[in-house]
Amino acid sequence: MTETEFDVSDDVTAVVEDTQLPRRLKDRVYRTVEERDGVTVEQADEIAKAVETRYLDTRIDPLDPVGTVSAQSIGEPGTQLTMNTFHYAGVAEIDVTQGLPRLIELVDARKTPDTPTMSIFLEDEYATEREKAHEVVWKIEATKILALGDVSTNVADMRVVISLNEDTLAERMITPEEVAEIIEDHLGVQTVQQGATIEFGPEEPSYRDLLQLVEELRDITFKGIEEVSRVVIRREELDDGEEEFVLYTEGSAFGDVLSIEGVDASRTTCNNIHEIYRNLGVEAARETIIEETNNTLAEQGLDDVNVRHLMLVADIMTNRGEIESIGRHGISGSKQSVLARAAFEVTVNHLLNAAIHGEIDDLDGVTENVIVGKPIKLGTGDVDLRMGSTSR
Amino acid sequence: MVDVSQHELVPEHTVLDEEVLEGVLSEYDIDRTDLPKIKRTDPALPDEAEIGDVIKIVRNSRTTDQAVVYRLVVD
Repeated sequence: MTETEFDVSDDVTAVVEDTQLPRRLKDRVYRTVEERDGVTVEQADEIAKAVETRYLDTRIDPLDPVGTVSAQSIGEPGTQLTMNTFHYAGVAEIDVTQGLPRLIELVDARKTPDTPTMSIFLEDEYATEREKAHEVVWKIEATKILALGDVSTNVADMRVVISLNEDTLAERMITPEEVAEIIEDHLGVQTVQQGATIEFGPEEPSYRDLLQLVEELRDITFKGIEEVSRVVIRREELDDGEEEFVLYTEGSAFGDVLSIEGVDASRTTCNNIHEIYRNLGVEAARETIIEETNNTLAEQGLDDVNVRHLMLVADIMTNRGEIESIGRHGISGSKQSVLARAAFEVTVNHLLNAAIHGEIDDLDGVTENVIVGKPIKLGTGDVDLRMGSTSR
Repeated sequence: MVDVSQHELVPEHTVLDEEVLEGVLSEYDIDRTDLPKIKRTDPALPDEAEIGDVIKIVRNSRTTDQAVVYRLVVD
């Protein structure tokens, strides 16, 4: 791994590579050396050593209370987050929960987010041709009857009459026959289909049944994925100047979308961490938690929160191989110590249950020890130092 | 089914050999049960992984170049 894209001498490379610096910092050293022409090997060595010393100094010490530091580092800027839920995010007029409500939702590992959404990337010609991209859209966006034509009720004959719009049908690649069949399957009625008109009615003439049928008809998904109510196409510029079509959705069905032809299953993402977990596993879920919390904070101008804090949160949430929420029902609620749990929420219940089951508290954690007034096992509290007697 | 390992969010998962594992555990001075876990049903898990195996995961890290982490396969 000694090949670099920087224009520096081999000696400099050797000196820098010899340090304990991570790749990112080594690259920055190279860049600095490169920018200032005529840096000697000795000077480069000095720079590299200085950077290394600083790097080693700023690393977390053993027994540092990282969790507490993270909690404070996320909590303080968190006070500046917006409390109103709805706001159009810059992307494609799709409504996305932001600010504090979104952060809470993520940390609570809510089963479905308030505003589920997917960013669907396309492959090959689907990404470059508008028609092809539209083909994918129709496979994803849920098509209801009102999008296909007009529905009217003929009260005199007790019939529901649908006049389909043939242009829309052609565009969405569905035939009147298919529509009629789907209606029959879902409502259990006999339909009469003639050209673009479909008629049906209740078995027994009944005004209530007729209205009921219309209600049910509106809920049928004729094409696409039921959960996805809207899809927006956007043309986006790539790094290399090329353009591609990207789809943004309201509603999500990540697993279904991945297997649709034309969808790039390597970049498509969604904002529901549980769907990511189910389809891509814990590691991807961890990544998404970091990404989403980071974006939520960045959106509000709080991107100076160090990503390490968010990584710690994500690590803890995925530690047991599945997503756990932070809070009573998740991490804090499953702590070993009775006192720690009691100190968090619903104190009396925890103490009562512990008493009934005869639980024992080993006083290993922080909270318990604060409660009983012992030194906590963090920082200097965990180090035993005794004066040694030197034998002569 | 879609090949999950191709997704950019999914890092490389490989089953770790027992001998290498010993080295890792002694380096950190921990038992294998102290490692973070991964479910046996996890979609990103290699097919040959079984309960009790340790998976080596190489992430593209935000803070360093690459980060190597280990997860124990559990039920």
